[in-house]
Amino acid sequence: MSVSELPRKEANVLKGHEGAVLAARFNSDGNYCLSCGKDRTIRLWNPHRGIHIKTYKSHGREVRDVHVTPDNSKLCSCGGDRQIFYWDVSTGRVIRKFRGHDGEVNAVKFNEYASVVVSAGYDRSLRAWDCRSHSTEPIQIIDSFLDTVMSVCLTKTEIIGGSVDGTVRTFDIRIGREISDDLGQPVNCISMSNDGNCILASCLDSTLRLLDRSTGELLQEYKGHACKAYKMDCCLTNTDAHVTSGSEDGSIFFWDLVDASVVSKFQAHASVVTSVSYHPKDNCLITSSVDGTVRVWKT
Amino acid sequence: MDSDDEDYVFFGTPIEREEEITNRRKKAVAEASGNLRSLPAWKQEVRDEEGRRRFHGAFTGGFSAGYYNTVGSKEGWAPQSFTSSRKSRAEVKQQSIFNFLDEDEKAELEGQYLGTSSQFDTFGFTAAEYARKQADKEQKQRPSAIPGPVPDELVLPAAESIGVKLLLRMGWRRGRAIKESNASSLYDARREARKAFLAFASDGTKASHPADHDPVEGEPESLAEQPATNDAKSSQSLPVFVLNPKQDLHGLGYDPFKHAPEFREKKISRLSNNKQLGYRKPTSIKDSLFGSKSGKAAPGFGIGALEEFDAEDEDIYAAGYDFQETYVEEAEEPSRLSIESKQKVVAKDQGILPGFKVASVSDYQLERFDPPIIPKDFVPHHKFPGTLEALKKLDIPSPPVVPPPDDNNLKLLIEGVATLVARCGKLFEDLSRKKNQSNPLFSFLSGGNGHDYYARKLWEEHKKCGNQGKLSSDGKLSPSVQKMTAESRGELLGEKPLERSLKETKSSSVASGEFVQLQFNLSDTFTNPSSFSELPEVAKPFKDDLAKQERFERFLKEKYEGGLRSTESSAASNMSEAARARERLDFEAAAEAIEKAKRGKESMISTQPFDILATGMQFTSGGLEQVKDAHAEDLVTKKMYPRREEFQWRPLPILCKRFDLIDPYMGKPPPPPRMRSKMDSLLFMPDSVKGAKLEDVITNRDLPVAQTDAHKTIGDVAEKEIEIEVENVERPVDLYKAIFSDDSDDDVEDSNTNKVGEPEKKIEAATTTLNRLIAGDFLESLGKELGLEVPPDVPYSTNKASIPSQIETPNSDAENAKIILVEGRTSCTSNAVSGPSLNPQQETAREGESSKNESIPGSSLRYSSKYTDGLSENISDKVNVEKFAQEDRKAKLPSRQRRNWSSSSSSEDERNRKHSRRHRHRSSDSCSDSSTDYRDRNHSRSKGRRKKSSQEKSSSSRKHSKHHKHRNRDSPSRSRYGSEREHSEGRKEKRKRRD
Repeated sequence: MSVSELPRKEANVLKGHEGAVLAARFNSDGNYCLSCGKDRTIRLWNPHRGIHIKTYKSHGREVRDVHVTPDNSKLCSCGGDRQIFYWDVSTGRVIRKFRGHDGEVNAVKFNEYASVVVSAGYDRSLRAWDCRSHSTEPIQIIDSFLDTVMSVCLTKTEIIGGSVDGTVRTFDIRIGREISDDLGQPVNCISMSNDGNCILASCLDSTLRLLDRSTGELLQEYKGHACKAYKMDCCLTNTDAHVTSGSEDGSIFFWDLVDASVVSKFQAHASVVTSVSYHPKDNCLITSSVDGTVRVWKT
Repeated sequence: MDSDDEDYVFFGTPIEREEEITNRRKKAVAEASGNLRSLPAWKQEVRDEEGRRRFHGAFTGGFSAGYYNTVGSKEGWAPQSFTSSRKSRAEVKQQSIFNFLDEDEKAELEGQYLGTSSQFDTFGFTAAEYARKQADKEQKQRPSAIPGPVPDELVLPAAESIGVKLLLRMGWRRGRAIKESNASSLYDARREARKAFLAFASDGTKASHPADHDPVEGEPESLAEQPATNDAKSSQSLPVFVLNPKQDLHGLGYDPFKHAPEFREKKISRLSNNKQLGYRKPTSIKDSLFGSKSGKAAPGFGIGALEEFDAEDEDIYAAGYDFQETYVEEAEEPSRLSIESKQKVVAKDQGILPGFKVASVSDYQLERFDPPIIPKDFVPHHKFPGTLEALKKLDIPSPPVVPPPDDNNLKLLIEGVATLVARCGKLFEDLSRKKNQSNPLFSFLSGGNGHDYYARKLWEEHKKCGNQGKLSSDGKLSPSVQKMTAESRGELLGEKPLERSLKETKSSSVASGEFVQLQFNLSDTFTNPSSFSELPEVAKPFKDDLAKQERFERFLKEKYEGGLRSTESSAASNMSEAARARERLDFEAAAEAIEKAKRGKESMISTQPFDILATGMQFTSGGLEQVKDAHAEDLVTKKMYPRREEFQWRPLPILCKRFDLIDPYMGKPPPPPRMRSKMDSLLFMPDSVKGAKLEDVITNRDLPVAQTDAHKTIGDVAEKEIEIEVENVERPVDLYKAIFSDDSDDDVEDSNTNKVGEPEKKIEAATTTLNRLIAGDFLESLGKELGLEVPPDVPYSTNKASIPSQIETPNSDAENAKIILVEGRTSCTSNAVSGPSLNPQQETAREGESSKNESIPGSSLRYSSKYTDGLSENISDKVNVEKFAQEDRKAKLPSRQRRNWSSSSSSEDERNRKHSRRHRHRSSDSCSDSSTDYRDRNHSRSKGRRKKSSQEKSSSSRKHSKHHKHRNRDSPSRSRYGSEREHSEGRKEKRKRRD
């Protein structure tokens, strides 16, 4: 993908959140997106048409992360109220609330089969919750982190968590191993490459680090943006050719994956860009910001 | 019938009914005796004398008519009295109600029953009732125009209640409130005051408006008292009269003006104005002035009930408008209070209440003060007296350069104190002065000997601090500070190397030996330096690294001597925390060794192998290369991220299920924490074994203080390590299987005695083998890594050979082994940290012995030393995990442990061995410490070896029980989980270095 194809034109602005938008996520096919924010709501949008579809209200505090199942039938969300909410997308009802985290929950993800929700919390733990049973107890607590877990990624067989203790820990369920990659810097967000071979970790020293998952090798570092104090997302483009992340000054950065040069940088928001999410197939990016908007960027 | 028989002609034979006749007779007899009468009426039959039923005919009662159960008599029924009207035509019977009433009704009506006496009818209720009844009766007696009962309201009590009577006696009059006497006095007083006031006020205006004033004045006076009081109070005693119909829309009892009487009055005055138009207007001002008055009544004498209600149905929010209106009107009116009203007009009534005027001379004056004059030299920064800044300010004139005092000790002390004070602020100075008042050494603080020098020093230090700025005072956190080399910083500060402050030592290179000087000297001053000087030359384990040697010596001093110690952080060089901790551990080890040497227990061995090891431990990517250069170290630290580590992690089965994966631990006997702990202890053991052995065997060495921390491992090394690790981890499965199947023989024989220990033993056997293998790997890799002259295989084999033998010797019989096992379990410590670390040392002692016996000092020595490294690494890693929160404590921790080991290991082992059989039966439930496991494993392993060939029984059932038991035992061990994890980490670190 050439640089010109990077999504830099603002296609839509999704307004509706009151206060900061903390996360924006495409669904699995990229037709819809979800955003959540400080106004304690989760909103479902059609980013391509700029339509607000639905609002999910039930959280008692800010909503920090949201994820949708591959079949678009269920949502999970988490936030400052220490609970993970398991929603039915169409009815907007909360199916279950998972309580157990001792602190705010920073990130939440479904697994491949949408049978487990894995959440990452301020209480230094990753917790896995069973969606299939009616139990609201975690089925697994991973508490080997030494500090807040900021972000979680799931593969078919692994749970990967990034923590402020500077580690990216991969928990391989298949072989029962925990692999800890210590980056030495607080990890703000981790994001997996689309081929699944690399982990992009956003560290609080304003550096994105690309790790080889199999060896733990540091493949590349991406610098230039500001990421020091906020929980911010990073991700790779759908082709894995570029790395993108927001910045605390409201701009969006694109780096070349290989040579780590900033190929594009533009001002997207008035304030901190909290989240970026790249369309799984097209050249489309959604960004959310503290300024209360979600913006859709296309080529 | 019988009697008539002859009179009739009968055809045929009559059927004589025997029973009928007898019945009848019987009945007749019974009747005669009166039996029948006892029967209920409907069962009785009317019979004649002969007992015959008599039929009276339908109209005369049928069978039952007649005498017994009918009216009438034996003779029959006759009307009681019949008088012909012919005779007494005149007397017309007057019908009365009594003719139709029963006796009791009559009695009731006439009051001829027991009742309450009106004498005690205190409240008159009975009287009222009685009166009502009387009225009823009367009405009945003489029919009135109005039919029906008299309404209650119209019937008043005939008698007064005793209370009323009493009150009346006491002078109460009807229609007055009972508490009037009280109220009225107040009321009167108030009334008097008002009157006086009115009179006073009217004086001025009378002249101009006599016509207006007089009638008004007079009227209210008269009106005021009676209506107001009576209206208001009478309602209290007579509830009957509701004179004020509710006309407003407020809820019952709701008074909108409850808390704002001003508005009520305002409204009232307005109303009265409206009602009485021009006539009232002049007084309205006055009215409003006095507040409580109505239009009808005079000013100032309460509010009539009527008016009040009138006022209430006004909208309270209209009040503001009313104000305006009122005042506008008033302004137009020529009035007595024209001045005030004018002012009101001027004030345009905003917020002014009726009855109040804007004061011409306001008593309340807002006093305004000018802001304080800020002196010109004022700097808006607060300076705390104890802080650095305050001192800095003081020091602006630099004290003269004074030659240091002759006494070197004093000089050092002064320098040290100055540095500390510069760092910690004046508080420290004060503190130390106070503390050391009596100490002549510290007289310089209070102006004694060397004070000038101290002042100068202090100033210098402050200057340095100032130059460095706050960031540097925060220390190592700022990377820029770290990056500076000592030389550059020294240049920057223009300092002589000796005067370097503690802070600067942080950035100075490790290579320069001087940087510790000050610190060192300082601690010298505060601690007893004697022992240090006593250190023999051989006891300098870090000869090749001067800086390190210095640090080591300082460490020794701190360790063995009391007194003020420099803080750990102050000793910081550019080494990382981890490195420092590690070094500290190394020092500990070395110190231990030196201690031993001093005691002369063992002959001194040249430090040579030790050095090799020491250097070997500092491997970098280059392999054996010694890391002495600070820059190189920096590089390493830079390169150390990302660092990969691997741990065991057990996903719960349900998670695996949900992820649609096969549980990797499925079917593995020990649950994860247990497993982990065992693995830890296993892997951990050799290291500690060697470590302890090292202490025993080798006396004088620089303890291979792992100069490189595990953190500094490099990527490729890590990779290698991972592979090895994985290998190791995967091994247990097969091992378990292999071992489970063959160790059954001795189990059988023991099963009756020691069933509990069995499963564990098996597992432990497995793990032991695993352990051995791992140890083998470890040794191999270590040998490779070190590239030692000793071929890697040799140590392994020798070790291998030695292990069984050594184990077998003490525990030649299986029973004995078991005893020890149990004993170990019982003696396990509850302390999570020391628990796991205890076992190694026991092992160690044994191994140490054996190795001595074998007298292969060369190889075993080497390995043991290596292991020691590993151990120290282990500990340091543990420390690392603790995030270096309290470095002092941590630093002490390992040393304590080590001491414990060395002291207790041998003795405990002995004790164990000596233990009698009775211990065997001790339950293994309480605590399953890893030490016992390990021991156990050893035993079973040896046993297994011996009997391997003969044992072919597979003990599936036993396996089962094994699982079960482990699960049971799981709970205690789980608590140790955390610490064990740390151990495992430590192990990993160690491994890495081996690579």
